[in-house]
Amino acid sequence: MGNRADDTATGAPVVQVESVAITHDGETTAAPADASFTVHRGEVVLLLGPSGSGKSTLALSLNGLIPHAIPARITGAVRIGGMDAAATPVATLSTTVGMVFQDPDAQLVTGTLLDEVAFGPENLRLPVDVVLARAEDALRRVGLWERRAENPDRLSGGGRQRLAIACALAMGSPVLVLDEPTANLDPAGIEEVYATLADVVAAGDRAIVLIEHNLDQAVGLTDRVVALDARGRTVADGTTEEVLRDRADELHALGVWLPVSTLAALALREAGWRIDTLPLTPDQLRAAVEAIDAPPAPRQARGPEEAPRQARGPEEAPRQARGPEGAISVRDLSVSRGRARILHGIDLDVRPGEFVAIVGANGAGKTTLLQAIAGVIPLPRGHVSVAGVDPARTDLRSLSRRIGFVFQNPEHQFIAHTVFDELAHGLRLQRLPEEEVEERAREVLTRFGLESRADVHPFLLSGGQKRRLSVGTALVAGAPILALDEPTFGQDRARADELLRLLQELNEAGTTVIVVTHDMQLVTDYAERTIVLDGGRIAADAATGDVFADAALLRRAGLRLPPLRQALQGSRHPSLAGVTRLADLPAPQPDARAARPAEAAP
Amino acid sequence: MTALAADPYADVAPRGRFLLGLNPLAKLAAPIPAMIVLVFVRDLVTPLALIALAYAVLFVGARITPRLVLLLLVAVPAAVAALGFGMAVWTDASRVDQSVTVLTLGPWTLYGGAVMIGLATALRLAAIIALALIAGLTTTGPDLVRASVQQLRVPYRVGYTALAAFRFVPRFGHELDVIRQAHRVRGAHGGRGPFAAVARWWGYIVPLLAGAIRHAERVALAMDSRAFGAHPDRTERHLVPWRTRDTAFTALFAAVSLGILWFLFPWSPT
Repeated sequence: MGNRADDTATGAPVVQVESVAITHDGETTAAPADASFTVHRGEVVLLLGPSGSGKSTLALSLNGLIPHAIPARITGAVRIGGMDAAATPVATLSTTVGMVFQDPDAQLVTGTLLDEVAFGPENLRLPVDVVLARAEDALRRVGLWERRAENPDRLSGGGRQRLAIACALAMGSPVLVLDEPTANLDPAGIEEVYATLADVVAAGDRAIVLIEHNLDQAVGLTDRVVALDARGRTVADGTTEEVLRDRADELHALGVWLPVSTLAALALREAGWRIDTLPLTPDQLRAAVEAIDAPPAPRQARGPEEAPRQARGPEEAPRQARGPEGAISVRDLSVSRGRARILHGIDLDVRPGEFVAIVGANGAGKTTLLQAIAGVIPLPRGHVSVAGVDPARTDLRSLSRRIGFVFQNPEHQFIAHTVFDELAHGLRLQRLPEEEVEERAREVLTRFGLESRADVHPFLLSGGQKRRLSVGTALVAGAPILALDEPTFGQDRARADELLRLLQELNEAGTTVIVVTHDMQLVTDYAERTIVLDGGRIAADAATGDVFADAALLRRAGLRLPPLRQALQGSRHPSLAGVTRLADLPAPQPDARAARPAEAAP
Repeated sequence: MTALAADPYADVAPRGRFLLGLNPLAKLAAPIPAMIVLVFVRDLVTPLALIALAYAVLFVGARITPRLVLLLLVAVPAAVAALGFGMAVWTDASRVDQSVTVLTLGPWTLYGGAVMIGLATALRLAAIIALALIAGLTTTGPDLVRASVQQLRVPYRVGYTALAAFRFVPRFGHELDVIRQAHRVRGAHGGRGPFAAVARWWGYIVPLLAGAIRHAERVALAMDSRAFGAHPDRTERHLVPWRTRDTAFTALFAAVSLGILWFLFPWSPT
């Protein structure tokens, strides 16, 4: 490859991935199977691909962690600044490629911010004055210099992830690789990280390889997009416009997640809107729809097979009422932990069959409220009623017939040695005869697609199977109410969607679902009602659409508008102004395809 | 810039608090002779004298905080009293000096000899703890690791990995809480008594270990990505040198404690 001097003259790429296939030890199929792309100095490249395409694996091979720290077989070539990554030590590559991982807690080593940022340069044996100069520069760039003497534990999730970016900057590497850097953050934290990344991009001295599912924010920074297919073969590589705009349909069909704004525009085209240029960001979508006129009103109602789920207004009766047993009522509930009061006089009612989301910033008391309702934490008597009983006075056996609780990490609640026993445990607790236990456990196994895994240890299931099993165990005793704490935390979009479809099916069959989450997309797409907590008090409790119509309230509560709402709020088209989720967009029209502009043809 | 540019952001020890400026190894090593001797003495005066020495050093050399004062003047004496009484009650009455009777409750008598033995044992333990507090109250974990790496030639990979592992502790504590909640909600191993408790704790171990291993792997990858362990040594921003005053402190402290022993000589037949 070209000599190193060329690199600095923007000639040769800093990262060169050629036909790379990576097979982890113990696996038989390679993922990625055939990835190729290049990154030049100062470029921002977004790496897209469906779940399982090996994006994270590819990221780990860029600084040599694969194969040096994680054994795997690599074919093809990864060249970093002219060096062969498979043959160069990670330490040498670390001066060219800096990494930022998903979990901010797993990247902290020392006791102060300054020590943390200095840790990398110290490992490189740089002189003390250079170490300090780099640490100061990196901390200033992410806006944390003033807090340098603090313990990283005192930073918010977004703050710790900015610190991780500073640590990568301090290595002096011309390439930063970020693998799902915002997956563990709340909306305010995501915004913080993107503001920081925008500053880094604006400085123009670092190339960035970004793996991210939060595309509406990422796309605004991106120069180029590389898309992998399900097996991890490069299927698209070009500027953001070329790939996301011109090949949106193709990528969507491959299972690649697209920006919500782009998906919305595709749906609007189907509905007969003449959107010439596909928008990629909320701002572009807004500009696109404001510039054109709405198509004539649809002549026919939505086809039955295409009908997306309609929001059921609170006044409508649920499809399959289960009587008072699916209801929750909370009256003047206050909960303290130690000296701190976490919840202040909460009043709320959940009707049977509702799908309710509880949202709020970190520390607003969301999880505490959910745990109090489900009887997971001790609570004062007489303030909560779940399906007719007070969790504070009810033994576990009767409570588990009324409400099932799903913890954030499914592994935490597994107690048996096989999947079957995991389900049977809840039934045996009800002192059912063994034949009935067997029968009902099999039934749940089938319902959650786990029949073939009945004898496997729960820890050996795949991530999605673990999650389904945890939902199954919560419901096996016949609970009409399901409570979930952050069920999509740290998961990719595909897995989150799989879980949400499951919850939606359960909800349609009559189960009351109450979920605590940071994921505004999840809330707007599925929950019919949203409760906003702020500082331990209910700041809003209304239909999801109404809650998200109040931007000031959301900002006060540390939340952000979902991308679609951001784009369409206050639109001059009455059919769009109230839209919060893709399903609420105007229905497709049969002749819309004919009316579609020819611009999108390849 | 000079090559010796010191870290301007390093914590500076407040003037007059000399213990904070000493090498952690000096503070650990200096009381060791006295601690070893304390294992073998049986009288009351020697431990009292050494406690006085440790307290004097702490009050002169450590940062005086309400916590320090409470610990030294309330917690330690209370512990001595409680432990001394417990030991006194526990001591075999037939083998102690029975010339003085302190307390008689029905058939049971507490003799002066038992109280002496109980108090002496408690004071010895208190003295060892007070001596250990000289280092314990004035040293931070990172400084101890730095000193071990710089003076004792402990490999830095071991020292700094241990330091990173300290950060795991609160995380695991939190994770254990969540697992216990989750298992309680599932009704795992209900029941009272030691056997149920053992079964319950056993059930926490698998999820805790699974989480711990995954976390440790992630931390290791993050450290590798920042060139940890790449070179035989690394830049030390905070030098923790062994200075003349460290030698002086160690020698003086050892001399004073041995002087106390020489003067009191607790093994002479009385």
